Amino acid sequence: MSHAAPTHPVLDPALAPPFPQAALPVLRNPQLRKNVAHAIDVIQAKRARLVTEKTDWQELRTAASAMRAHVLENLGAYLTEFETKCTAAGGIVHWATDAAEARQIILDLLRKENASEVIKIKTMTSAEIQLNPFLEAAGIGTYETDLAEIILQLGGEEPSHIVVPALHVNRSQVREIFARRMGIKDLSDDPEALTAAARSYLRQKFLTVPTAISGANFLIAETGSVAIVESEGNGRMCLTLPRTMITLAGIEKVLPRYQDLEVMLQLLARSATGERMNPYTSLWTGVTPGDGPQRFHVVLLDNGRSSMLAREVERQTLKCIRCAACMNACPVYRQTGGHAYGSVYPGPIGAILTPQLMHMHHAQSLPYASSLCGACYEVCPVKINIPEVLLELRHQVVDQERKRAGRIFDPMYLGLRIANLIFSRAWLFHAAQRMARIGLRCFTRKDGWIHSLPSVGAKWTQTRDLRGLPSQTFHEWWAARRKEAR
Amino acid sequence: MSASATSRQRILDSIAATTRPVAKAPAQLAEGYAALPRGYQRIGQLSAEACVERMIERLREYDAEVVESTPDQLPEAIATQLGSSGRHTFAAPVGLPAEWYAAGFNWKMDSSLETAEIEKAEGVVTAAFCGVADSGTIVLHHSAMEGRRVLSLLPDWHLCILLASQVVETLPEYFRRCPQPPALATFISGPSATADIEMTRIKGVHGPRFLHVILVHDEGDARPTPQ
Repeated sequence: MSHAAPTHPVLDPALAPPFPQAALPVLRNPQLRKNVAHAIDVIQAKRARLVTEKTDWQELRTAASAMRAHVLENLGAYLTEFETKCTAAGGIVHWATDAAEARQIILDLLRKENASEVIKIKTMTSAEIQLNPFLEAAGIGTYETDLAEIILQLGGEEPSHIVVPALHVNRSQVREIFARRMGIKDLSDDPEALTAAARSYLRQKFLTVPTAISGANFLIAETGSVAIVESEGNGRMCLTLPRTMITLAGIEKVLPRYQDLEVMLQLLARSATGERMNPYTSLWTGVTPGDGPQRFHVVLLDNGRSSMLAREVERQTLKCIRCAACMNACPVYRQTGGHAYGSVYPGPIGAILTPQLMHMHHAQSLPYASSLCGACYEVCPVKINIPEVLLELRHQVVDQERKRAGRIFDPMYLGLRIANLIFSRAWLFHAAQRMARIGLRCFTRKDGWIHSLPSVGAKWTQTRDLRGLPSQTFHEWWAARRKEAR
Repeated sequence: MSASATSRQRILDSIAATTRPVAKAPAQLAEGYAALPRGYQRIGQLSAEACVERMIERLREYDAEVVESTPDQLPEAIATQLGSSGRHTFAAPVGLPAEWYAAGFNWKMDSSLETAEIEKAEGVVTAAFCGVADSGTIVLHHSAMEGRRVLSLLPDWHLCILLASQVVETLPEYFRRCPQPPALATFISGPSATADIEMTRIKGVHGPRFLHVILVHDEGDARPTPQ
């Protein structure tokens, strides 16, 4: 099967093409690859410098990993504690089993507020449940306020990274988008001028739109507080100026105590952007009279998460604090960028998170989108053993394949069955070797290498050469040598 | 709300079903929490002076403007900073010591100012709760001297008065100073910034573009008292 490569990336795992196919448009686009590589090089260099400077980095990782594991083992207790404390502080807690329910809860809340517009702080969870198109279809205008998210929203682009979602767009592309959508005639492509344009575009929205939606970096069980980590101040604007705030948070985001931020905040900024600390971290608790929104809702989203808790290997996935260090370190992500992963969660963490959120019904190609080199595990601030989870998920994909009725027509399945037959019988193996030597002779060039094979074999030779079979196997040589010795 | 109540039960049931072998009773839960490894650096190693020096150095790395002062000279230092900013209208929380409101400027005292009024201010003066030297972070708990959250957000120019006695070396030391977690907190590490366009760092997207800090060498005892 060969489909034409889609021109617009699809980030719905149920609809996205398999990874190798989705990666082609990027691999064929040198500009895009240059943009991605440049951004990653900059973050990687900054991260490396600041991690080296931190002499207790490994101890922080150990603490964070144990803490996140402890939370996940006791998630029910910490979630109900969060709910009790948040409610006592004047917040209203909602629970959503899946994306559809979360969207509906948020829409109902907005309808109650008579909201026609809503301002948003960047939240990957809202992208996961595809909230914006749903609200737009219901007649509610959504305004992203993070600079990268504005670029994506105005440009009709899709996010390709979880921390720097527009890293695949360069300055001249941003200039074009802003000039077109903000109606600014003579805009330069200087990042400073572009940032200023976004500032004035949003200022009025911040001051007038009475309803905001945020995600959450952390929920604090002990106090019922929510923490948001950001750089630009758009988060603070949304958290402070509107009348009503709606926070959408995955159920795994909870931490036991306020003090636990001392571990997470030290790891997060260094891992995510290579800074000692991000410019702004905000924490609020329910409703504070006279300060900030006077109505506050939290929507706790499951959407496949609770089913990932069952086994220790897969459970690790939920330790993630969304720093994106794994994608920055990944040699595969570096080549393909984020869109190839067909999900709002790209890179190594996406490769293990997305198929599990889809209950392994979609995105089965993602566990294979890795060389298993382990760079992601090495940089992960909460020590998620991503290669281990990748292997486990590959195992599950193979099990699915094995149960599939039409599998006997699959050349891969057929080939492996035949190989199984041949490898388990010595005489068949030797016969196969002799046949292959004759069969491959016409494809082997003078240099002893096979540069191209027809049909299924081309899958191997289109990216690498194959050494031709030697005229004598080791067994044959050994037997001949003993005869000579006699 | 009933739909959400059912969903609540379904999610909690699903969690209970999957975590049953490991989930703990409340007493065990506290024990499990207390046993978590905390081998990272919790207490700083620098002397008080070196700690303040590092705070200043890190703030300057963020392009924040830092001047030092003694408690006696503080009102004068504030007036100098305000004067050299070229701005005239300043917002400030009502709880600041009276002598901090330098004469000759237009002051907007906030307890419940309209947003539009704060937006008109050209700058803001606040106190702080804590400074973390390691990362050059200023923590606000939004008390009567630190002001509401909106106050230190809308004006483009923020003058923050930080006492040497409020500066700690490590982030865990800040948390040790909070026996009761605050309801509101804002951690500020340098002025508002973005690197979303080609990783070029740009100052000032939405928050204040200019952060000025007066570091007051108070030797630990001369904390100004709120009004």
